[in-house]
Amino acid sequence: MFKPVMDISIFNPQSESGWRLYHLDIYFIIASSFILLLVIGLLIYIALKFRAKPNDAEPKQIKNNKLIEALMIGIPFIMVSFFFYLTIKTMKETEPITHNETPTVEINGRQWWWQVSYPGTSVVTANEIHLPANKKVLLKLTASDVIHDWWVPSFGPKMDMIPGLVNYLWLKIDKPGIYEGACSEFCGKQHSKMRIRVIAQTQENYQKWLTENAKTANIAIDSSLIKGAAIFQKASCAGCHQIRGTMANGNVGPDLTHLASRQTILSGTVKNTTENLYRFIDNPNKIKPGVNMPRFFLQQDSLKALVTYLHSLK
Amino acid sequence: METVNVPEPEESLPSTSISNDQGLLQWISTVDHKQIGILYLLMSVLFLLLGGVAALLIRVQLSVPNNNFLSPEMYNQLFTMHGTTMVFLVMTPAILGFSVYFVPLMIGANDLAFPRMNAFSLWIGLFGGMLLYFSFLAGGAPDAGWFNYAPLNQRAYSQSSGIDYYCIGLLLVGIGTVGTSINLIVTIIYYRAKGMSLRKLPVFVWMILINSFLIVAAFPPLNAALSMLLLDRQLQTHFFNNTSGGSPIVWQHLFWSFGHPEVYILILPSFGILSEVFQVYSRKPIFGYSFIVGSGIAIALLAFGVWVHHMFAVGLGLTVYSYFAASSMLIGVPTGVKVFNWLGTMWGGSLRFTTSMLFAMAFLVEFTIGGLSGVAFAIVPIDWQLTDSYFVVAHLHYVFVGGSLFGLMAGLFYWYPKMSGKMISEKLGKWFFWLFVIGFNMTFFIQHILGIKGMPRRVYTYPDLPGYTWMNMLSTIGGFLMSLSFLLLFYILHKSYKIGKPAGNDPWDAYTLEWTVSSPPKIRNFTELPPIYSYRAFRDLKENAKNNKHGK
Amino acid sequence: MMRLVIATEAILFISLMITYVYFDLSVGFTKQSINYLDIKSTGIFSVLLFSSSFTLVQAEKNYSEGKIKKLKIWLFATIVLGSVFLFGQAKEYFKLLNNHFNISLDVFSTNFFTLTGFHAFHVIIGLILLIIVFILTLAGDFDRPNSTALSSIGMYWHFVDIVWILVFTLVYVLPYLLK
Repeated sequence: MFKPVMDISIFNPQSESGWRLYHLDIYFIIASSFILLLVIGLLIYIALKFRAKPNDAEPKQIKNNKLIEALMIGIPFIMVSFFFYLTIKTMKETEPITHNETPTVEINGRQWWWQVSYPGTSVVTANEIHLPANKKVLLKLTASDVIHDWWVPSFGPKMDMIPGLVNYLWLKIDKPGIYEGACSEFCGKQHSKMRIRVIAQTQENYQKWLTENAKTANIAIDSSLIKGAAIFQKASCAGCHQIRGTMANGNVGPDLTHLASRQTILSGTVKNTTENLYRFIDNPNKIKPGVNMPRFFLQQDSLKALVTYLHSLK
Repeated sequence: METVNVPEPEESLPSTSISNDQGLLQWISTVDHKQIGILYLLMSVLFLLLGGVAALLIRVQLSVPNNNFLSPEMYNQLFTMHGTTMVFLVMTPAILGFSVYFVPLMIGANDLAFPRMNAFSLWIGLFGGMLLYFSFLAGGAPDAGWFNYAPLNQRAYSQSSGIDYYCIGLLLVGIGTVGTSINLIVTIIYYRAKGMSLRKLPVFVWMILINSFLIVAAFPPLNAALSMLLLDRQLQTHFFNNTSGGSPIVWQHLFWSFGHPEVYILILPSFGILSEVFQVYSRKPIFGYSFIVGSGIAIALLAFGVWVHHMFAVGLGLTVYSYFAASSMLIGVPTGVKVFNWLGTMWGGSLRFTTSMLFAMAFLVEFTIGGLSGVAFAIVPIDWQLTDSYFVVAHLHYVFVGGSLFGLMAGLFYWYPKMSGKMISEKLGKWFFWLFVIGFNMTFFIQHILGIKGMPRRVYTYPDLPGYTWMNMLSTIGGFLMSLSFLLLFYILHKSYKIGKPAGNDPWDAYTLEWTVSSPPKIRNFTELPPIYSYRAFRDLKENAKNNKHGK
Repeated sequence: MMRLVIATEAILFISLMITYVYFDLSVGFTKQSINYLDIKSTGIFSVLLFSSSFTLVQAEKNYSEGKIKKLKIWLFATIVLGSVFLFGQAKEYFKLLNNHFNISLDVFSTNFFTLTGFHAFHVIIGLILLIIVFILTLAGDFDRPNSTALSSIGMYWHFVDIVWILVFTLVYVLPYLLK
């Protein structure tokens, strides 16, 4: 397994919203540690001081104390009001209302992968989400089957992706890098293996990537690839997957036009190598139990040809 | 309304054994509230074992990254059943068990208002639980989580009949729970001892009264949702299926408008138990009786206005969120301040550190942790980070175990002598306490960090990221310590019952009426009742006797 | 106790009605309601159900005055009125089903059948209770006015009627007024 490029933690903020929430977290930790330590301290003090001694007389039967009770309600109330104010403030800053802005990227949650498309371009990809760093972008979040949830801890807020509804999230990533997250709403058998990888690039590299990925796939001319390409069309791969520039235009599984340019496959769970791809296609359910892709029982050499072809799709 | 005239034989209760003239039949056919209370507790233990085994299997699967010990299908069924079992079939029956056993005894009644309905409620609840577990044999248990979100709960995504059993099972459990609650309300309103006005009601009884109203009001939305889901799955209706016009959000609203009050349903009885325990072992009256009761009522009312804080990541809009953030923070105040009421009760007292008291004191810390992490979820932006992560798992276990269960444990050790007639072993009890507290904190505290480090909940496995492995392993070890401590508990209960010292009527020099009668109480609880002067009726009686003796 | 049962049942119906309203607001039920439902005939049957509340009040009054014979008559009238209402519901259901308007057709049919079905189910329970009391009356168990069974069932029956007033208004009358 590969290591994540960035430490995944809400205390490692890497975006504008991430930092806002980080400050709020810190305030809250200070306030709550104070209360917790107060309770523990009082408890220990009381336990030591008022431990029963032999022949203790019955203690004084104090039933209440108006002043202390007023303080007991008053102080937490003030603390809570303070945090309510911070909540409203942070909420408004983090999730400003959208006014029909064109989203930079549309992410569609599926069982169990992410379909990623870039409105205004022909780019469609899967699982690895390229975004420009240091620029405010709008994510459009939808789902096709069950509820999924977008969560990259370093970026701050998560957002549900609910079938039939559209949610938006603003995001300004601090600097280029690879950020990891995961689907955070239970979505069935492979919920655990629905990882998110965001590849933040400089504006320049991002544009380059977009142009590169807007292209259709290389036509298989090389004799070593033609066989694999033919199998892809015949063995009904094309029914579910799209390879732009060929007859394959399925919309059930991930777009494979530039499959070989991705670093990982299977929603960021394994490295994109020919061996991993081979093992997966050979028996998808073994690698990813519950996956919707059926097993095709291909001959070994056909399988090899297919993998060779897929890995040529740079 | 001094006593209830249910015709009853005047013989001693056959205690917790079945070795009396009618044997098992007597237990199955019983309408006596004490026997039904014990049956409820036994039901709770039965399902605790089942839910506990599920929890252990879950922890084994999660002990190392990329584990293949359980298939994802099995894992999903297990965590769903674990949650559903613990909430509906362990905590609820345990609470009802203590309620039906002790409410009549504490208010000077001889039984609940409707003894036969009491028995009916127990058995239909047990039947519902059995039905839920039958799903394992019928093709697969429910596998969409205990809150069972749409559309994952639809037939298209969960083909086995598990979720149908979930619907029917929980409907039956719900009928039983609501039935018992109605029974308790009527009993508390109409069957109190003469002179016991509401202001002289023991805090435990108050909490059960509030709680029962909460149950009566909270279960109907769940029942409506379950019925709709069953129709969706069986008759292809369109409530929650978005592809044909339904709305998955409606499920969430209905479920959580039950689900959040349910959280308070599980905690209020523990508040009641703790209030009794702190008084007796501190030798002082509760600090701020009216505040405790009043805040209980406030919690019950507010509980119905906070459910959307489970849905802060749904995208409902900031206006809605602002309202529910305010109400959720507000409910934190009366809940949290009670901790200081109990500290105030202990202050200046003469503390006796029995196992029961230790649990009550540990509760103060564990529940404060659970409560504070709960307030974190009322702060919408923090909720946006941490909801549905392992932080929630940690939080809810600190509330349900560190809160509710610690309270119930305090109650168990407090009332065991009354129920069994034998003293419980304090030495072993303390062993159990420390083992349990260490195991519990070891299991769950670290899960806060896992959530902060981005581990989502309900994952059957996880990648080998920095820190994940050792933290999960630690949590698993803690889980085993906890199970070990439960085995010790069962041993203690068994052993104390066999060879414990006879308890006598009033081993703790306690304050409430259940300690005036024999241990275990006779079938007919009371033949005569003392006059009631305050919520510590038995103490008043003892004080008067003492004063009279000194010729005052 | 009956008050608490009614309270919990009332919240159940409130949940169902809120769901109905939610979908009504998001999908819009007005057109379908007017197209499919027969407000006139259901209206007549509804009036019969409402009047059964008054007959039951008469029954209770006579019972408390010890007029057992009149009690029997009014009780019987209540049962007949309730049954006729159920017959009307069944008739409407059959008509709808014959027009291929079934529970799994769309969101409106789903909500319509669930809401009215739950109500009809409660009418059936009420009728069963009334019939039991009626039989007991015939058997002579209600000769003296000291049982609370009748007033409890009465409370339940009025509740079922009130629910129907709300459901009828929501499902039939409002779309008609707002069209």
